[in-house]
Amino acid sequence: MMNLLFICGLCVFLGITLAQMIFAAGGSAVTRRFSLWAMLGANLLFLAFSLIIVLRNTTFSYDLYQLSDTLRFSFSVDRLAAYFMMIISLVSAAVCLYSLGYIEHQGSDTGKNFLVATMSLFILSMLLLVAADNTFCLLFFWETMSLTSFFMVLFEREKADTRKSAMFYFVMTQMSTTFLMFAFIAIYHVTGSFDITAVTGVSPFLKAVIFLSLFIGFGIKAGVMPFHKWLPYAHSASPSNISALMSGVMIKVAIYGLVRYLVFVLSPDRWWGVMILIFGTFSALLGVIYALKEHDIKKLLAYHSIENIGIILIGIGLYLIFQSYGFTDLAMLALIGSLFHTLNHALFKSLLFLTTGSVVNETGTRNIEKMGGLIKVMPYTGVLFLIGSISIAALPPFNGFVSELMIFQAFLQSSIISNPFLKILLFLGLSLFALTSALAAACFVKAFGIIFLATPRSEEAKKAKEVSWYMIAGPAVIAALCMLLGIFSFQLFSSQGFILPIPNMMFIGLTLVVTLGLVWLLMRMISNRTTRTSETWGCGITSQNSKMEYTASGFSEPILTIFRPIYRTRKNVERTYHDGGKSIFKDGTAEIQTFKLFEERIYLPVAHFVLRLSTYVSNLHDVDLDTYILYSFGAVVILILAIGWLV
Amino acid sequence: MLNTAFIVLISPLFVSLIKKVKAFTQGRQGPPLLQTYYILVKLLKKERVYSNNTSLIIRITPYINVVCVIVASLFVPVVYIPGLFAGFGNVILFLYLLVCAKFFMALAGLDAGSTFGGMGSSREMTFSAVIEPVIIIVFAALGLLLKTTNLYEMFAMSLKSSLLINPSTLLISLSLFIILIVESSRIPVDNPETHLELTMIHETMLLEYSGPDLAMMEMAHAVKQTLLMAVLINVLFPWGLTAAPDVLTIAISLTAFIAKAAILAVAVGIFESLFAKSRLFRLPNLFMLAFFFSFSTILFELLK
Amino acid sequence: MMNLPIPDDITKILFVLVLATAALIVTVRTLTSLLNIYSIQSWFIAAVAFVLYLKNGSVVLLLLAILTVASKAFMVPYVMRRIQKSMHLKRDLEFRYLTPIGSILVGTAMIFLVYWSFSKFLPELSSDELFIFGAVIGVSLALMGMMVIFTRKRMITKILGYLTMENGVLLFSLFIAELPFIIELLIVIDLVMLIVLATVLAFGIDSSIDEFHTKLNSFTMWFKE
Repeated sequence: MMNLLFICGLCVFLGITLAQMIFAAGGSAVTRRFSLWAMLGANLLFLAFSLIIVLRNTTFSYDLYQLSDTLRFSFSVDRLAAYFMMIISLVSAAVCLYSLGYIEHQGSDTGKNFLVATMSLFILSMLLLVAADNTFCLLFFWETMSLTSFFMVLFEREKADTRKSAMFYFVMTQMSTTFLMFAFIAIYHVTGSFDITAVTGVSPFLKAVIFLSLFIGFGIKAGVMPFHKWLPYAHSASPSNISALMSGVMIKVAIYGLVRYLVFVLSPDRWWGVMILIFGTFSALLGVIYALKEHDIKKLLAYHSIENIGIILIGIGLYLIFQSYGFTDLAMLALIGSLFHTLNHALFKSLLFLTTGSVVNETGTRNIEKMGGLIKVMPYTGVLFLIGSISIAALPPFNGFVSELMIFQAFLQSSIISNPFLKILLFLGLSLFALTSALAAACFVKAFGIIFLATPRSEEAKKAKEVSWYMIAGPAVIAALCMLLGIFSFQLFSSQGFILPIPNMMFIGLTLVVTLGLVWLLMRMISNRTTRTSETWGCGITSQNSKMEYTASGFSEPILTIFRPIYRTRKNVERTYHDGGKSIFKDGTAEIQTFKLFEERIYLPVAHFVLRLSTYVSNLHDVDLDTYILYSFGAVVILILAIGWLV
Repeated sequence: MLNTAFIVLISPLFVSLIKKVKAFTQGRQGPPLLQTYYILVKLLKKERVYSNNTSLIIRITPYINVVCVIVASLFVPVVYIPGLFAGFGNVILFLYLLVCAKFFMALAGLDAGSTFGGMGSSREMTFSAVIEPVIIIVFAALGLLLKTTNLYEMFAMSLKSSLLINPSTLLISLSLFIILIVESSRIPVDNPETHLELTMIHETMLLEYSGPDLAMMEMAHAVKQTLLMAVLINVLFPWGLTAAPDVLTIAISLTAFIAKAAILAVAVGIFESLFAKSRLFRLPNLFMLAFFFSFSTILFELLK
Repeated sequence: MMNLPIPDDITKILFVLVLATAALIVTVRTLTSLLNIYSIQSWFIAAVAFVLYLKNGSVVLLLLAILTVASKAFMVPYVMRRIQKSMHLKRDLEFRYLTPIGSILVGTAMIFLVYWSFSKFLPELSSDELFIFGAVIGVSLALMGMMVIFTRKRMITKILGYLTMENGVLLFSLFIAELPFIIELLIVIDLVMLIVLATVLAFGIDSSIDEFHTKLNSFTMWFKE
C-alpha cells in the first residue's frame, strides 16, 4: 500500500510539471486550477504516506533507478525522514489550496503556468531529497530544489530588486552545494560508499572538517548567521505563496540534513554542540533585533525565520551537549523540542506568509506604514494573522509555546552539568533566549497592530476588501492545526511513547475556557450591559485622523534606542551657511544609514576579493596565440616532472 | 481554587494600602483602605463606551486579561500548597500566561488609534522584553537553589528548609523586588497615579476602557501584583504555608499571608515615595542591577 | 568560640551586601548617594571584621573593625560632605569607555574570572570555604573600584573609586590573617593615593579630566613670564 502511495504521488507531481510546461504558452485558468487540485491531492497522498510511517514507526525503502555502479536513485524513509515529509506535504497542501485563489492575481498566463510547473517540481524535489538514501540522490534533488526556487524567486523579473535578490540567492545556494559536496566526498573517501549510514573510525581532524563543511553548507541554506543575508532578499522578492513554501519548508530541509548527519551518521563531540548553541543564540537574537526595525512586512517575517532557525539550532546544540555527557533524557527533551519547533515554525510561518500575501495583494504595498484598520474589512484574514502572531510569540496554549517550553525546560535543568564554564554559558544562553522570545512578542504586537488595527493610513488600505475563499481556507487549515497541536501536545507525545516533563496543555486549555465562561457569566450578571460607541479620546482634539496614530517606526523606537550599539545608525548631517559665522542656514542634507554589519564587513569584502581574483584570472585568458602555446609548454613540462617524481 | 478566590478578594486591599502609605509620606490622609473595592463596584455599574476605530480586540482583551491572570494565580500557592497536577505550577507557563495578558493589552492599546495607546504599547512591550531575561534568570536561580522548576515544589522545599540565612536568597529577593516594581508599574518605572505623559507605560493602555471593562483590567492588574508579591513572600518567609487542607491551618495561613503581604505593601509604598520616576532610558540600568544580582546568585551557587 | 555555621552564614550575607554596594557605586550618579553607599560599605566591612573577631578571637581584628568604622564610616564621609557643600557639583553624569550597563556586565564577568583563577591555587593554601569567598569578593571589589576610576571623569568620583579599591584590599587581607602584611599592602596603595592627592591639590577637587589641559596651560604661562 505504501508503495502505491509513494509512486502515485511521485507520478502526479511529475505529470503536473510536464503538463504545465507543455501548456505554458497557452494554458488557461482551468488547467491551472486542475493542476493545483491535482497537486493538492498528491500532497495529501504523501501526507498519508508519511503519517503512516511516523505513527507506526516503520520504515520504507524503494529503489527507483540505477544510474551506474555506484550512483543510484533509491529512497529509504525512516521516522525522521517521514516526519519531515509530513511537514513538507502538510504545508504544501495548504499552500496549494491558497494558490488556487492567489495565483490568479499574479502576472501573465505564461508566467502563471510556469510558476505552477516549477512549484510542483520544487515540492517533489524537497520530498525526494528528504527520502533520499544516498548522498548522490540527495545532492541531485538539492540542486533541483535550488534551481526551481531560483526560478520562482525570479517571478517578477521586471523589477531590478527582484533580479538582484535572485542572483544573490543563487550564488549563496551554489556555495552551500559546494560545501555539501566537499563534505560528502570526504565521507566517501573514508567509507567508500555514498550511503547515508553511520560513519565510524574517522580521525578527529577529518571529522571536524566534515562537520564544519556540513554545518556551513546546511547553515547557508537554513539561514544561520552569518550566512543569512540572502534570506530577507529572496523571501521578500518572491510571490507570497512561494515565500511561504521557502520559509516554511525549504529551510527545514536543511535542518533535516543537519539532524540526520549529527544524530545518525557522525558521532558528535561536545564542542560541536557548544558551537551550534552559540551560532543558534547569535542568529536568534540578531534575527529578532533586525526584524524589529523592518517595515517591509515580508522582510520582517524573513528575519523572524532566521530567529526561529536560531531557536531550532539552540535545541540541537543542547541535545549534543547533553548527549555528550550521557544525560539522554534531557537530550531527548531538547531534540524533540527542537524538532517540534521545526513543525510549529513551518506551520505558523507559512500561515503568516499566506495571510501577508492576501494583505499585500489587497493593498498593493509591502510597507506596513501604509496599512491599517484592515481587520474591519478583512476580518477572517485578520483573525488568521492573529492566530499566527500568537503562535510565533509563544503564548500559551498554542503550539509555539509548547516547543519553546521544552527548550526552556532543557535549559533550566542544565544545572546538572558539572563544568562551571558550560553552566555559565548555558545560563547566559537561557537569558538571551528569553530576551529573543520577548522581543518576538513585541515585534508581532507591532506587526499585527499597525497592519490590522486602528484606522487606514493610506488610500489603498481604505479600499481593501476581503479575499477569495481559497485564500482563507488554506491558512485556516494551518491555523486550526496550530491550535490543536498546542492544546493536545502532551497527548500526542505520550501516544508516541515520549513521556516528557511538560504540562498537559489540554487541561490548561480547558481551565482557560472554563474560566472564560465563568467570568463572562459573572460579568453578564453583575455588570451593566449597555454599550455605545464614540470617538477616541484625543486630548481635546475633535477630529481624529490617521496621522495621529502611532507609526511602526515610532513603535520600535524605544527598542532601537536601547539596542543602539547593535544597530549603529549613522547620521550624516551637512549644512551650508550663508555667512562665515554659521548662523544663517542656507541648505543641508541629512542622511540616516543603518550599519549593515554583515553586508559591509563580511559579504562585500569577500565579494570584492573574489571579483578581483576572477578579473585577474580572466585577464590571463585574454592573450595571443604565442602565450597560449607558452601555457601548453609549461603544462607539459610540469606533467613530465610530476610523472618523474611520483613514479 | 482556594488560593485563587483568596487572591481575588484580597488584591484590591493591597493596592489601597500602598496608596495610603504613599499618602502618609506625602503628609495627607489618603483614601480609605476599602477605596479600591468601592471603585470597582462603581465601575461595574457604568456603561461601556467603545471608540469607532476599535475592533473586536478591545472587546475581548479585558476577558482574556482576567482569565490569564486568574489561571496564573492557580499556579502560585499563597494559602496552601496543592498536590502536583497535570503540570500546574510550571514556572515557565506561569510567566508566559502573564506575558499573554500583556500581549493582548498592548494590542488593544494600538486598537483605538490614539497616540497615547500606541506609546503605551510600545514602551510596555520594550520594557517587558528587557526585563524578561532578568525574570528568567531569577527563576532559574531559584530553580537551582530549590532543585525544581515547579512553583508548588519550590514553595514546599522552602517550607522545609529555612532559606533565610542563605545569602543567595537575599540577592534573589532583591531581584524579585525590582521585578515586582517593574511588573506592577510602580515608581521609578511608571507612575500608577496618573494617566498622561509622565507615565506612558501601563496606565495609558487603559485609557480607552470604561465601565466593567476598566474594572476587569484594574482587577487583573491588582491580582498580578499580589501574585508577584506572593512569590516574593513565600520564597523568603514561608512560615504559615501549609500543605494540608485543614480549617485551622488554613486560617493561620490566611492571617500570616495578610500580615506578610501588608508589610511588603508598606515597604513598596515607602520605596515608591523615596524615589522619583526615572527617565525612560535610564530604566535599563535598573534592570541591569537586577540582572547582576540574580546572575551573582548563580555564580555563588557555583562557588559552593 | 561560637557555633561555626551561624557566623559563616552572617559573613556570607555581609559579602553579598558588600557586592550589592559595589554594583551600586559603579552605576549611581548622584554624589551624595555615592558617599552614603561608600559609608554603608565600610560599615559592612567593619561588621565582617567584627564577626571574624568573634569567630577567631584575635584582638587585631577587633581593632581593625573599630578603626574602619571610625575612619571610613565617619571621618572620610564627614570630610567629603564638607567639601561637597562648597562645590558646585551635584552629579557626575559622564561616562567614558563603559556605560553603566557595560560596567555591570564587565563586573559580573570579572567576579567569575577572579573565582576561576583563584580556584586554581587557593584551595592549597587553606580549605576554608569562607577564605576563598572572601578573597574572591575582596579582589572583585578592588577591581570594581578601579573600574570606577577609569570610567568616570570627575576627580571626586575617582577618589571614591580609589577608596572602594582600598576597601576591597582590606577585605581581601582580612582573611590572610597577618597584620604586618595588611599594613604593607595598605602603604603601597597609599602611594597611589599620594599622586592622586597631588593632582587634586593642583587642580581643585571639582575638576574633571578634560579641564586638565587648559589648567596646565595656564600654569606654563605663569612660568614663562
